[in-house]
Amino acid sequence: MTDVTRPPSIEGTQRHRERCAAPWLALCAALVAVACGSRAEPVKSSAATEASSSPRAGGELIFAFDGAAVSQFALDPHKSAFAPHHRVMRSVFDSLIVAQPDHQFGPWLAKSWEIAPDGLSYTFHLRDDVLFHDGTPFDAAAVKWNLDRIKDPKNALIALADIGTYDSSSVIDPHTVRVQFSRPYAPFLANLSKSSLGMVSPTAARKYGDEFPLHPVGTGPFKFKSLQPATEIVLERNAAYHWAPSGAAHTGPAWLERIVFKNVPEEATRMAVLQSGQAGAVDLIPPQNLASLRTSRDYHVVEGELLNQNYSLYLNVEREPWRDPRIREAFKLTLDLDAAVRTIYLGTQARAWSPLSPSIFGYDKTLEHSWRPDPARAAQLLDELGWKKGADGVRVRDGKRLTIVFLDTQGNREKRLDLITVLRRQLRDNGFDLRIDTQPAGLYLAKSASGDFDLLAGSLFAPDPDVLRRTHSGKVRTVTSVSRADDPELNQLLEDGCNQLDDEKRKQIYSRAQHLIVERGYGIPAYVLMYSVAAARGVEGIAIEQHGFPVFYDAWIHA
Amino acid sequence: MMRRVLGRLAASVGVVFGAVTLIFLILNWLPGDPAALIAGDAASPETVEQIRAQLNLDRPLWDQYRDCLIGITRGDLGRSYVTREPVATRLLAQFPATLSLTLSAGLIALVLGVTLGVLSARFHGRWPDQLIQLSALSVVSVPPFWLGLLAILCFSVYLGWLPVLGDGGFRADILPSTCLGLVVSVHFMRMVRSNVLDQLHEPYVTALRAKGLGQARVFYVHVLRNALIAAVTLLGVVIGELLSGAVVIETLFARQGLGRVAVEAISQKDLPVVQGAILLASITYVVVNLLVDVSYVWIDPRLRTDSLRGAR
Repeated sequence: MTDVTRPPSIEGTQRHRERCAAPWLALCAALVAVACGSRAEPVKSSAATEASSSPRAGGELIFAFDGAAVSQFALDPHKSAFAPHHRVMRSVFDSLIVAQPDHQFGPWLAKSWEIAPDGLSYTFHLRDDVLFHDGTPFDAAAVKWNLDRIKDPKNALIALADIGTYDSSSVIDPHTVRVQFSRPYAPFLANLSKSSLGMVSPTAARKYGDEFPLHPVGTGPFKFKSLQPATEIVLERNAAYHWAPSGAAHTGPAWLERIVFKNVPEEATRMAVLQSGQAGAVDLIPPQNLASLRTSRDYHVVEGELLNQNYSLYLNVEREPWRDPRIREAFKLTLDLDAAVRTIYLGTQARAWSPLSPSIFGYDKTLEHSWRPDPARAAQLLDELGWKKGADGVRVRDGKRLTIVFLDTQGNREKRLDLITVLRRQLRDNGFDLRIDTQPAGLYLAKSASGDFDLLAGSLFAPDPDVLRRTHSGKVRTVTSVSRADDPELNQLLEDGCNQLDDEKRKQIYSRAQHLIVERGYGIPAYVLMYSVAAARGVEGIAIEQHGFPVFYDAWIHA
Repeated sequence: MMRRVLGRLAASVGVVFGAVTLIFLILNWLPGDPAALIAGDAASPETVEQIRAQLNLDRPLWDQYRDCLIGITRGDLGRSYVTREPVATRLLAQFPATLSLTLSAGLIALVLGVTLGVLSARFHGRWPDQLIQLSALSVVSVPPFWLGLLAILCFSVYLGWLPVLGDGGFRADILPSTCLGLVVSVHFMRMVRSNVLDQLHEPYVTALRAKGLGQARVFYVHVLRNALIAAVTLLGVVIGELLSGAVVIETLFARQGLGRVAVEAISQKDLPVVQGAILLASITYVVVNLLVDVSYVWIDPRLRTDSLRGAR
């Protein structure tokens, strides 16, 4: 009895303090050691064998990618707009043409092509030696089938937006196909080089029907082998492959025997599996790790700009308080995006000036540094408009507080909410009260489609400035036209840009459009996303193609 | 005994039915159109309408509900709105992962919790007790997510003992189930500790001691046995916490699992998948609780006679 009910003695408490501190100290020491980079030697690291040795066939690459918390792998390129899945699909599906630097295109499954003078038809001469993974020959009929599949509204495919005014295709001979448009559609070639217009095996699509996204069949350097829902996708080398796009470092089959894509959505876990050697390469490196990995001898980093409409803030101009352009101006002048982007991304992502990422055709460089934050001027504008600071520092007009509801769904992907939080502070100093309204995807979509928000933000990956039409045109509103702008001048420009085939004229149109969007406060661009891959030494040749997607065709592993 | 089990079974069917109905109504009540979500950002209103018809979403709510119930009784959970994959196939593929994580975490929680609870009570007020109490407080005070990150850094990156990514092997289960089990073990520890301390003041303990029974025998044979009944009851309760805690751990350790599927399906309004996941989770919950009920009888002979008397 005495044993179990004795009150704690002071002596006992002290002793316990000392002992219980020990494991925590050990753990802290371990963490400090990890942070300093002294960790168990990664299995695959072999700094001795530098890139001087030549590529070797064979081996398995484990690639840990950020697939977000999405548990369904849907690998139908025409059906998905989800960039992480396209990072896998780029290895399974080939395109007719390949994007090259300076907005040029090179041959891939199409050897050559001609565009009719009226810009309404494209004739593609196809390779005659290409087979889909299931043995189906790739020919003109397959191209026609692919484009018609996308066009058919019954199929409800997301790639529909990529074929614009596509009308029909005709098979001229087994390896020549003519693609017809009802009106000139300038973004066609750029879109055609994107993985979302990759070529799907007609036989397999018919065979698997609704379940094709779980059994993808293309002509790519890697064949789909298997998948574990939510966690991994296994691809195997396509031994018959000898139709690499122009610009590849070698010909013939890919070097790697297998690629295992592991979905590791948590960034700290991704870094942990790279550092412990459980993965040969990982993607989307967190900013705090990027600098040290770049200079590390044990890893190498490849980075490439994701061609996209930059992550931007969209003001709902259909609603108060944004109807007056002056308050939009005040909002913009309050933001110090340079400071916010630098704070959050530690210099790893650049500040965006245009809605378009810099490598997209028609990017207007003159927008760079075209405006600077001016909170004093912003405060003056707000005072003139009758928004006076109240007792708690939030501005008030006619009894209404200047509360801005920011609608969000994706959480902190790419540290976006961190960025918004910094901006929120800046806005608060000038009397804006920003509220973050986080909703599940379903509700978010309903609210954004019906315009029930003051402010939201997003990005959209696309290789052509026509992406601005999908976001800002008041004429082609779709369920997620995030900008509520309906500006006749902008609508006309975006329409003209879509149909204009002359590069110079097209550039002028989009230059004007980009200026309008920024100057009239329809969209405020935030940062340019650099897609990044870090590989352990010994894993060589992973590249990032023009659109910003990883390519494993030339990748290989040291023996 | 049999009647007792049958009664519980009938009640269990009610619980499962209630859960399915509730989730059906909640998901329909929440705004957001699954068809629009599937159609994506570039779809025209016609496309969305088309998809709605494909999914039978244009039919009255009552019809949808009736079809859903008929399907369940036939063992047909329908197809996912988003991937068009049969729901049963999808969930059953995820279920073993969740089951192994939840069971091993539950086992760790039970063994660790009971052991520490007993130790804590045995050394009540002295340093082992205080050490255990303080550690327990630290563990429940940090988010499981952070605990998991520390464990990954320590055991996988720094020490290199255990893998983070699953490869189907047992070793990959150790870190995630320990992280999950550790948090839940605190409940067991506290429950066992306070129960043992309560039991020590019961008259029967005094009686046993008066008869000259040794300290250890009183403690480990008589007191502990009585205190364990509550721990078993707790097992039925924490199964819910284990299932929900698994969502975070699954994401952190990049594992498969029912929890992740359910969370994602809810945000996409993928009704058949959510229904199926809730159905599986509620069945698991009900089965565990049924087993807990049955095991009382095994642990506590008093209940055995009660039920015998009741059956007469």
